[in-house]
Amino acid sequence: MAVQSTETVGGARPVDRTTPPWRERLVPWVFRAPLIFMVIFFALPMAMTVVFSVFERTMFWMEPGFTLFSYENFFFSARLTNFLNSMKYSLISVAICFVFGFPIAVFVRKSIPQVAQHRVVLLFILPFMVSEIIRVFALRPVLQRNGLVNTTLMDLGIIDEPITALLYTHTGVVIGEVLSFLPFIVFSGFLAMEAVPKYIFEVCDDLGVGPWRRFKDVILPLAAPGIFAGSVFIFVNGLGVALLPNILGGAGAVNAGLIATQAITALDFPLAMAVSAIMMATLMTLLWIGHRLFDLTKILTPLS
Amino acid sequence: MTQIETQGTQQMTDSQAPAVEVRNLAKHYGDFVALQNVNVSIGAGEYFVLLGPSGGGKTTLLRTIGGFQKPTHGEVLLHGRSVGHLPPDKRPTSMVFQAYALFPHMSVEQNVGYGLKVAGLPRAQVAEKVAAALEQVGLTPFAARRPHELSGGQQQRVQLARAIVLDRDILLLDEPLAALDAQLRKDMCLELKHLQEKVGITFIHVTHNQEEAMTVADRIALIANGELVEFGRARDIYRAPEKTFTASFVGENNVLKGRVAEAAGSEIIVDVAGSRLQVDKRGLAVSDGQEVTLSIRSECVALDRVNGAETPADGFSITGAYDESVYLGLTTSHLVHLPDGTEMVSREIADSDERLPEAGSRVRLSWKPSDIRLHVE
Repeated sequence: MAVQSTETVGGARPVDRTTPPWRERLVPWVFRAPLIFMVIFFALPMAMTVVFSVFERTMFWMEPGFTLFSYENFFFSARLTNFLNSMKYSLISVAICFVFGFPIAVFVRKSIPQVAQHRVVLLFILPFMVSEIIRVFALRPVLQRNGLVNTTLMDLGIIDEPITALLYTHTGVVIGEVLSFLPFIVFSGFLAMEAVPKYIFEVCDDLGVGPWRRFKDVILPLAAPGIFAGSVFIFVNGLGVALLPNILGGAGAVNAGLIATQAITALDFPLAMAVSAIMMATLMTLLWIGHRLFDLTKILTPLS
Repeated sequence: MTQIETQGTQQMTDSQAPAVEVRNLAKHYGDFVALQNVNVSIGAGEYFVLLGPSGGGKTTLLRTIGGFQKPTHGEVLLHGRSVGHLPPDKRPTSMVFQAYALFPHMSVEQNVGYGLKVAGLPRAQVAEKVAAALEQVGLTPFAARRPHELSGGQQQRVQLARAIVLDRDILLLDEPLAALDAQLRKDMCLELKHLQEKVGITFIHVTHNQEEAMTVADRIALIANGELVEFGRARDIYRAPEKTFTASFVGENNVLKGRVAEAAGSEIIVDVAGSRLQVDKRGLAVSDGQEVTLSIRSECVALDRVNGAETPADGFSITGAYDESVYLGLTTSHLVHLPDGTEMVSREIADSDERLPEAGSRVRLSWKPSDIRLHVE
């Protein structure tokens, strides 16, 4: 019986199919179009980056060939030290962001009424309404030799001489990174805390679980995928955003993004491509490790 | 160790004291009064149910007993000892929450044992106690599973095991079955009851479901609008409610508003929608002209289909216009409205083959003299 009925439905369908309305034919493309866009403008250029990185350098561009000269140029020069340094300072930024930002996320989830939570999180989005270059540039008058921080500290008699290490150094870059990326750990922490069941803190009260254990045994394992995602985001941006070391950094205080930018300025395109390829590899490795550790798909499915 | 010992001796000396005693308890949230003037005493080993509509304050009372909230006035005594200053884990209570209260990243075993581990018990002892607790709730085969691999009922049983493993002698259950479907809820009710009989500790169970309350309770307290309306044995609450609210909330009562016509004697006459109804005064103080309510359970009301208008009034029947019948499987409800618009229900077991009265036709509803009750508040 059932087979028969499907046959009649199936039999009726081809009649419709001969003249499908154009709108119906368009529907699949609504979903295919973004995919095509991503392939043309994302996957393909990424692949080409790797290919170009082994091309020969010419005066103004490059020509097809195979040479590892750019990689040699990267790995056997001060660039590698700078790259490793920028990884170190990006990690420091991640750590500072976590220490400042995650407690905010936990606090918002735990102590703020449900209806107000999203408004509080919105407060952290507001700074993003200002262009990043302005935000970062505005740090200069704050951090410079006779800037806000130094004059205040000197007026208060806490220091005798201005602290020069605040600007055009790694410290300056880290301050800029924390300022720029703190909201991401708040967001991802906020989302990650969704994986923490509703009554869990009261269960902890009932069982007599102290604050440290609560953090170590309950919050951290549950929020780990979200925290990791936020941390990777900050780390990768710390490596890649050239703007920050460009405005706040100085001699030696550069990151991978700035190394690539400088290579482009010097018209060494294969080198720029190689730096990009190395950054990509770093990111892929991090994501792979993260996925093996926490199963990152969990970020999107908080409660099982 | 000394603390545990003193607690032990305290319990010994106060073995006469009730497990829970609540005195003049009130809880205000700004202007909103969540609880006021609550006095109740719950004996050790009792299965006590707090029943009432949502937002009535029953959960607030339970959470105050558990130490999750501080009362605005009044005090809570557990085994005769005031516990106002103690946090939840220092009280002899443990809590089972509605749902979503398991550690999702821990196995059933770890969930149940976590409290003991935090308390610093040696590993072997934890394992032993956890195994015993899981045995008691019938979850031994599921010890290694994660919460998301369990059904809703099993998850709640894990919570039960996690609470009883702590060896505290008062178990608080906050709508523990609310998230379960009807059939599972019935099964779990019986299981809860049997578990309580087995472990012998005091259970305090909050619910808005009266069937659930009747199934498990030794005694029921009705809580509405922040007040403890009435409490008593489940059977008494159902069959002989004191207050109008109890009558309207428990069972399926017909609640009739009326005015006292003759207050003299042990039987008084109340005027309801033009009919003079006779009711036992039960020693209540009433005067002529006072507004009172009467209640009759719908299953005690008989529908007289034939010549409803012609039977003489006897004080234990009333006439109205027939509306419709609602077939509910086991019972059929007949809806009738009185001349003043009050809706009355007569519930009969099984579907009779008799022809139903036509809508709008006059019918007579009658009951036995002992089935109608008078309420003054």
